[in-house]
Amino acid sequence: MSDGMKRRDFLKVLGVSGAGAGLVGCSTDQVEKLMPYVVPPEDITPGVATWYSSVCGECSAGCGTWVKTREGRAIKVEGNPNHPVSGGALCARGHASLQGLYNPDRLRQPMRRNGDGFEAISWEEAESLLLDGVGNAGNRMALVTGKEGPTLTALLDGIVETAGGRRVEYEPLSEAPLREAARLAFGRDVIPTYRLEEADLIVSFGADFLETWLSPVEYGRSFTRAHSVDADDNKGRFVFLSPRLSLTGQNADEWVPLQPGSEAVVALAMANVLMRNGADAGPYADLLQAYTPDSAAQEAGIPADTIEELALAFGEADSLALGPGVAAQGANATAANLAVLVLNAVAGNVGSTLHVGVENRAAPAAPHRDLMDVVEAMGRGGLDAVIFYGTNPAYALPPGAGFADALGSVGFKVAVTQQMDETAALCDLVLPVRHSLEDWGDANPRPGLWSVRQPTMVPVPHFDSRPVGDVFLTLARGLGQDVDSGSFHEYLQARWEERHADLGSPGGSFEEFWREALRTGVITVDEGATSEPSLQAPDRALSFDRPSLEGEGMALVVYPSSRLADGRGANKPWLQELPDPVTKLAWHSWVEMHPDTVEEMGLRRGDMVRVRSPHGEVEVPVYPYPGVRTDTVAISMGAGHENYGRYADGKGVNPMALLPGTAEDVVGSLNHLAVRVQIEPTGQWRRLATIEGSSDQYDRPIAPAVQIDDLREGIQDAERYPLYELQGGGGFLPVPVPGGGAPEDYPLAGAQYGDYDPEENPRWAMAIDLDKCTGCSACVVACQSENNVASVGEDQLMMGRDLHWIRMDRYFEEVDATQPGPVDVRFLPMICQHCGNAPCEPVCPVYAAYHTPDGLNGQIYNRCVGTRYCANNCPYKIRVFNWHRFSDVPEPLNWQYNPDVTVRDEGVMEKCSFCVQRIRERQNRATVEGRILGADEVVPACQQSCPAEAIVFGNIRDPESRVAQVSQDQRTYRIYDILINTQPAVNYLRKVTFHPVTSIEV
Amino acid sequence: MKKQLLIALAAFVAVLGSLAFVQAQSNGGSADVQEQAGPPHVNPFEFPHEPHVAVNNMDCMYCHFSAERSKSAGHPSMASCMGCHAYVQGDAQAGDINQLREFWDAREPIAWERIYRVADHVYFPHMRHVAAGVECADCHGDVGYEINVVERVEQPLTMGWCLNCHIEQGASLDCTICHY
Repeated sequence: MSDGMKRRDFLKVLGVSGAGAGLVGCSTDQVEKLMPYVVPPEDITPGVATWYSSVCGECSAGCGTWVKTREGRAIKVEGNPNHPVSGGALCARGHASLQGLYNPDRLRQPMRRNGDGFEAISWEEAESLLLDGVGNAGNRMALVTGKEGPTLTALLDGIVETAGGRRVEYEPLSEAPLREAARLAFGRDVIPTYRLEEADLIVSFGADFLETWLSPVEYGRSFTRAHSVDADDNKGRFVFLSPRLSLTGQNADEWVPLQPGSEAVVALAMANVLMRNGADAGPYADLLQAYTPDSAAQEAGIPADTIEELALAFGEADSLALGPGVAAQGANATAANLAVLVLNAVAGNVGSTLHVGVENRAAPAAPHRDLMDVVEAMGRGGLDAVIFYGTNPAYALPPGAGFADALGSVGFKVAVTQQMDETAALCDLVLPVRHSLEDWGDANPRPGLWSVRQPTMVPVPHFDSRPVGDVFLTLARGLGQDVDSGSFHEYLQARWEERHADLGSPGGSFEEFWREALRTGVITVDEGATSEPSLQAPDRALSFDRPSLEGEGMALVVYPSSRLADGRGANKPWLQELPDPVTKLAWHSWVEMHPDTVEEMGLRRGDMVRVRSPHGEVEVPVYPYPGVRTDTVAISMGAGHENYGRYADGKGVNPMALLPGTAEDVVGSLNHLAVRVQIEPTGQWRRLATIEGSSDQYDRPIAPAVQIDDLREGIQDAERYPLYELQGGGGFLPVPVPGGGAPEDYPLAGAQYGDYDPEENPRWAMAIDLDKCTGCSACVVACQSENNVASVGEDQLMMGRDLHWIRMDRYFEEVDATQPGPVDVRFLPMICQHCGNAPCEPVCPVYAAYHTPDGLNGQIYNRCVGTRYCANNCPYKIRVFNWHRFSDVPEPLNWQYNPDVTVRDEGVMEKCSFCVQRIRERQNRATVEGRILGADEVVPACQQSCPAEAIVFGNIRDPESRVAQVSQDQRTYRIYDILINTQPAVNYLRKVTFHPVTSIEV
Repeated sequence: MKKQLLIALAAFVAVLGSLAFVQAQSNGGSADVQEQAGPPHVNPFEFPHEPHVAVNNMDCMYCHFSAERSKSAGHPSMASCMGCHAYVQGDAQAGDINQLREFWDAREPIAWERIYRVADHVYFPHMRHVAAGVECADCHGDVGYEINVVERVEQPLTMGWCLNCHIEQGASLDCTICHY
């Protein structure tokens, strides 16, 4: 280099070019435009959120919501605290409804079939095609819909009444067996109301009521109230009877791993025990004679003593039995539901924890068999037109049902849908409709409780969609029905005006009533409670016996996914990336097998196996799961889409391929428990997309527990710093070093608590009660929605590059699938601990990680240069690094971003901020209003969304704050604080167990 | 061989660098350069603050209505303009007001040029500053008397500039006040 260019010159050139590149990179001189409103919308103040009350449309539970909008865009969905179902909380699927609204795969215009593909057409053309096609069909028409709101249902029924034909309401997760069982047992057409919070002993026969069963948010709240330890150190007991531990089961105190399908006989045997001990079994006395604990024990593969003891406890306590759920739904589905209701009645729970007094006016969800009748009619050419809305049978039905072939012989097939799905892909005309957040509607989740759903924003302009009600009104009018309303909005209002008059005009004039209904989001109506009925003799014969399963090998349990439900959530990256609460896997499918079985077969975690039933086969990786019987395997529903959008297609497998598509005898629900499967290794292996480092704590004090007897005696732990003293110095020391920095000069004056007066500042802290946390992971998605946390996709997740700010850790302490016994699974929402003595802060070379005067561990994105030293030094592994431009999402998915939080770019470290934007927002508001900020006023997104009410946040320096008071609990501990003196601001409260646990000092 | 490769590489990088530099210059690379070159002037007409503020004594928040209750100061809508200018013809700029009415009749917004903008990673709450008694003119200049047509006043909108005032006023110096 001596003759040409000197090393120094070389560096100079590099320096200059670097500067040049720097100038390009930093120039922000694009001319931006300020676009004023022509006429400003009345309810929009720029920079201030406007909230609308609405109803979640993701399942039929009907949670009341508050939707946050900024400058006319919906940016977050939260529970409506006034609503008795949601109670202010929401599940992961509810939060992700935003990604349905802004889904880039939503249909952009009406389409008509053209050969193998579709061509775009105008709405006028689409409507005339619709009217011609359906009009010509006359009564040879079928309307297949999901379970809809009462007013839309009335409109749909009106169409069928006028035009002829039939309407079928098809929900894959049908409660029809339960409804029929309630009719058989009590003579009432009703979904029973369960009051979990009033029970001391809850027994679930496989009902996953914390995930998908009936009303998961409401039950999540009432379950926790019953089950978590109270001020008097009392705690409700929860026993789970099922071949597989669902997330709900993981929250149980005891698990009875019975044979798949034996729920009914066990429930009857428990009733038998109670009857022998003097309980009145009414007309079921004779029937119960046959179901002794011994015979049931034989059938269920569990000891008779277990049944006997559980039954006696059930009779003594304020108890409640639930279930069975959809996962255990087999050929005896209605009988099993009846058996559980009979058990409740014999134990005297009707009228106390279980209510069947009020008839439910909502139309019953017609089950699988009705749909199969339509399929059969289609197949023999009995139908000329079919309209699908809100349901996707081509995906949800087992291939053996022959849906696709039968549909092919229908002349005119219409899909009214928001996005392309497997059913719409088979149709001739596809009509894009509004998302529930853009549309009018109503809900009637249970007797006496109504809500009106109002649009929360103008329709997303990328999609030329119409309100679904308007589409069906046009159809009704075209078919000659006399409809007075010009739009569904008017139709809905007219129906409500009638209802208001029928109810005797509560709340004054209709205008006042309507305004109030929209404002509060809740309408409660006295629907005339009747007396609680007693047991009636069943008016038909039922078989309670364990159904025989087709095929050889292991019993297959097909269960609804708590993330994707029946598959409708599959095209939402938030839900796909959310680690499954049970297995911690995301994006792909898996088969759950007991570790002993896996070992016996010489398999490993991640080995690809072929799961073969008499009806089909799927290839999935093995996940060794101690929570499934050794003779049973389980696969989740909801994955394996073929035509549902970019985030869903090709991800995982659809276990419906394994099922025969047979229906139960009584109500004809689809048999999910029907086959045995063979497991064949393929010799392939795949890396699982998981966030699970280990399901074992290795005796580390991460999520300790305490037995309830020990709790009553008092926990003795080492003395700790009181949290309110901790402010943390961090790495931010702007104090000049006196005396040249000799060791004796330290700590520097003012540096011990930073350069601020700790007394003047709040000290933000959090308390998380692990006895309440159910691991449902609603907080994970709520956080993602609030804080613009990106999804990274399957490949990146396999490399451990997930970006979630909350990691829902799950540790198996005690899970035994071979015999009934205690189950102990610990959940721990792991977030930034905002340590008072944070290891991440001193290692940051640029002060991007530092401590704020109000006790936060700040992370300043614009300072961060991405060295990742902080992540390496974090003992909690909660710092995540943005490896790519994950924030570049397709339009209009980026509309969901919260404008109050920086959208982080490539190369930046990020982590939980304690929702600092919410803290600043409340502080700003308090200052402007000239008042002191309340100690409990700031509510971070995770606390807001928690159905279990496990999280409390506030200023711990204020002894009156909830967080200070909750942290006084003797169960409080701080993770690793005793080991490494990090002085975290997150206080965890130990889980409380009934069985002895190893005590670890924390 | 190795040496030649290195020289070639250095030359290549240098060419790339100077290209980038020229590019940056022609774009008005830095804020200073931009001040000299001036952004292209595309406002349909010049909005004069003077007659509004100085002559007619209108309060800033009559038009920028949300400054005291929102992070955003708000930008007056066309309807706000027409609230007065449906009746007020004005003398000096009658032609401009006619233009405004044409926009209004066509229900079209006027795309004003934005001259104040803090970086995306800064959350500047107007209401906090208004509540603390900071005058609009402290940051935006005296739009009534000294600056008729609004232009960016001599302040750089840099963090140092913010912090100087925060230090003088004893306001918080914590990073997470503005960056999150």
